[in-house]
Amino acid sequence: MTRAARRAVSAAVTLALVSVVVFALASTLPGGDEEDENDRPLPPDYLAAVRAQFHLDEPWHLRYARWIGDLSHGDLGVSLREKRPVSSILRERLPVSLALNAAALCAIVLLAVPLGIAGAWRPASRPDRLLALGTTALYAVPVFWAALLLQWVFAVRLGWLPLFGFAGETLVDRAAHLILPVACLTYGGLAYVSRFVRTAIVEGTTGEGGRVARARGVGPLRFLLVHGLRQAAIPLLTLAGFLIPRLVGGSLLIEEIFGVPGLGSLMFQSVLARDLPVVLALTLLSGTVTLVAMTGADVLAAWVDPRSRRVT
Amino acid sequence: MSRDASVLRAGALLCVIVILAAIGAPWLPLDPNRVDLGSVLEAPSRAHWMGTDGLGRDVLSRLAHGARVSLGVGVGTAAIALLIGLPLGALAGYRGGWWDAIVSRAIEAVLCFPALLLALALLSVAPGWLSHLPETARLALALGLVAWTPTARYLRAEFRRLKSSEAVLAARAAGAGGWRIALRHLLPQGIAPVLVTLAFGAAAASLAEASLSFIGIGVAPPTASWGQMLGEATRHMERAWWLALFPGAALFVTVYGFNRLAEGLRDWLDPRPVLR
Repeated sequence: MTRAARRAVSAAVTLALVSVVVFALASTLPGGDEEDENDRPLPPDYLAAVRAQFHLDEPWHLRYARWIGDLSHGDLGVSLREKRPVSSILRERLPVSLALNAAALCAIVLLAVPLGIAGAWRPASRPDRLLALGTTALYAVPVFWAALLLQWVFAVRLGWLPLFGFAGETLVDRAAHLILPVACLTYGGLAYVSRFVRTAIVEGTTGEGGRVARARGVGPLRFLLVHGLRQAAIPLLTLAGFLIPRLVGGSLLIEEIFGVPGLGSLMFQSVLARDLPVVLALTLLSGTVTLVAMTGADVLAAWVDPRSRRVT
Repeated sequence: MSRDASVLRAGALLCVIVILAAIGAPWLPLDPNRVDLGSVLEAPSRAHWMGTDGLGRDVLSRLAHGARVSLGVGVGTAAIALLIGLPLGALAGYRGGWWDAIVSRAIEAVLCFPALLLALALLSVAPGWLSHLPETARLALALGLVAWTPTARYLRAEFRRLKSSEAVLAARAAGAGGWRIALRHLLPQGIAPVLVTLAFGAAAASLAEASLSFIGIGVAPPTASWGQMLGEATRHMERAWWLALFPGAALFVTVYGFNRLAEGLRDWLDPRPVLR
């Protein structure tokens, strides 16, 4: 228990460190929007009022202290760009990103696990090599290029799917808007995950324990799934630790290209507009998810595997 | 099982093709930045093998010059990742204790850091001393500052594993000091996985450069970059397929080549047959 507590404290320290650097770095960027929508300069007294409201004339370490103080009350501040609370913006955007990335993760797992098992069926055979070749080739296809080609084929040429956006009255319409972005987020992950599953199973089935099970007369499919996958549990947990953070931050380019109003496009627009409160909130959110997933995977792996429990 | 270098050779071949394009770019007959409004959006022909873009510039010339940016950023980022990751990983793995704790926290901090903000800070509003550097170097710096974590992680693990090996014990018994053990005994044995991550890292950096240039905060026009060419291609999607096809294919060949090189290195350095 103390070990988990220590990890939690160190995670909090890490996040505090990151937020200081983000704050300092963002403060060195010259001020953002001093023009209105038509690029005309805003009146100076209005600018002065905004500066005073957001304390923009104070040095950054004072503003950081203020931000930490607000944060301790659960207040994430007000967006400079949208002039409304960051928390309400996040509440709008989070479900969109979660839906998009969860769909992509499900697609990756549903496709990659069978592919990995198929590859492990006869290691180094022709189908295994072809699978590896195909998925690694897909992995190297730049995602924005794929997005462009898919948009061109399915939206411009064939007209089957919407080109852009996330609106939609009906459920079918919404799902149609999701298909191309999800496809773009899925294909690149196939190589990594299927290779991971395959290697884990092969290592699990070729060892001493595998030979014993085979000698006892365990059938091939049962052998592969029960013995192989059980051995694969720990690497798969590590993999989950890497994949789960993608739920909130893994789709910046795709959200921008397809006009999906999620957290990725929010991050992009906020960084460009130097909207510091939003950038900080997003950093905290994705950082927390990253650290929790990594730590959680470690702790679970230790719990599943008695060997690593003894070591630490 | 003999060592199989076929994947390594294939990856090296693809990389060599891209390197040759980058080296040969200045000798191409057409200027990559020459605007010719008389021949806008021309399909591939004998005069322009890969067609022309929205300003009448030759796509082939721009493609070859883009290879310099892509390779420069890829290799530069890998070099910076090595420069930062090697000492930190070695320190954490060899010394352990507080050093290990500090480096591990630093790695976690970098994983949580919004890389986009760093790229923007170093590219658009670079501090004085940075603005003298060419754009490619600044991009490599921005990417390298967040790309060193795999190098450090792998080297740390290798050093931890090897530190208690019998070879190191023998060296210590023979009176070798800490530096000598680290440089002469641990580094040569532990460098293999680092080389593999560097090749993967170069591929990722080329891709990241293209992504940044695609969304408009990487290489500034008129410098030719594949990502930026693809960004322009979105505006002519219905009329000019060649604008999207060739830069994307070039990027694919580069990324695929570096990745195969990395995989080939891994297979070759670690010839366990089942992993292939």
